[in-house]
Amino acid sequence: MVRIKVHELRGKTRTELHNQLKDLKNELSLLRVAKVTGGAPNKLSKIKVVRLSIARVLTVISQKQKTALREVYKKKKHIPLDLRPKKTRAIRRRLTKHQESLKTERQKKKELYFPTRKYAIKA
Amino acid sequence: MLYELLAATSKKADDKTQALKVAKAVKSGSTLKKKAKKIRTSVTFHRPRTLKKERNPKYPRISAPPRNKLDQYQILKYPLTTESAMKKIEDNNTLVFIVDIRADKKKIKAAVKKMYDIQSKKVNTLIRSVDGFSSPCFACYSHLASHSTVNDMGGISEQA
Repeated sequence: MVRIKVHELRGKTRTELHNQLKDLKNELSLLRVAKVTGGAPNKLSKIKVVRLSIARVLTVISQKQKTALREVYKKKKHIPLDLRPKKTRAIRRRLTKHQESLKTERQKKKELYFPTRKYAIKA
Repeated sequence: MLYELLAATSKKADDKTQALKVAKAVKSGSTLKKKAKKIRTSVTFHRPRTLKKERNPKYPRISAPPRNKLDQYQILKYPLTTESAMKKIEDNNTLVFIVDIRADKKKIKAAVKKMYDIQSKKVNTLIRSVDGFSSPCFACYSHLASHSTVNDMGGISEQA
């Protein structure tokens, strides 16, 4: 059997990928029947190959879908939760960099007029 | 400048006339008495019906709906090839499948139609926990199969 190569899959369109998926799943069902009815060993060994290629096709499909969705939501203000950075729950709840950097007018003026000075002592 | 002055004076005049109007209304007493006291015919107070708006989210919470993981390939796992199953194929015109446990009879019927183009008249199911299987699986019988499809499935009838 032709070993499915992922970089070839990535070039295909969605419909092509779905058709390939259907073919692979059909093949898998036939192989499963062969397993039950005592099929030849070359068929039985094919099961693993087909299973993994199905997994590869599904991965490529979902990756393509995700990247396409990210493109759609790039400009928008609100993005769906699974497209937002995952990190950890605590990190997501922290203040943003901008929020942390905010200072009151009072503090800004203080820093402007009374910055910490550095002195050098003459020997 | 002149225009602003004029506007200011006219505004003043407007306010004055409005104030006079309100004073008149209050004096006549009609504004206060307009709302008659609501008659309550029941002892209990029920929450009045308020406006219920439909959902109109600004963004979908999940970016795309998840794919159907229980499709016909997942439902029908493999046919059963025991002697009694073979008997059923020949005598009772039925097929016996091992089926995913999450499938119901309707889904099984549809899956069989999709996979093998069989119109099943009836589907019986039972849950079995077979030795070694941690997850129990359905076995299902569906009627109205033709022997040609049995051959298509991988020559089961030849085994018998």
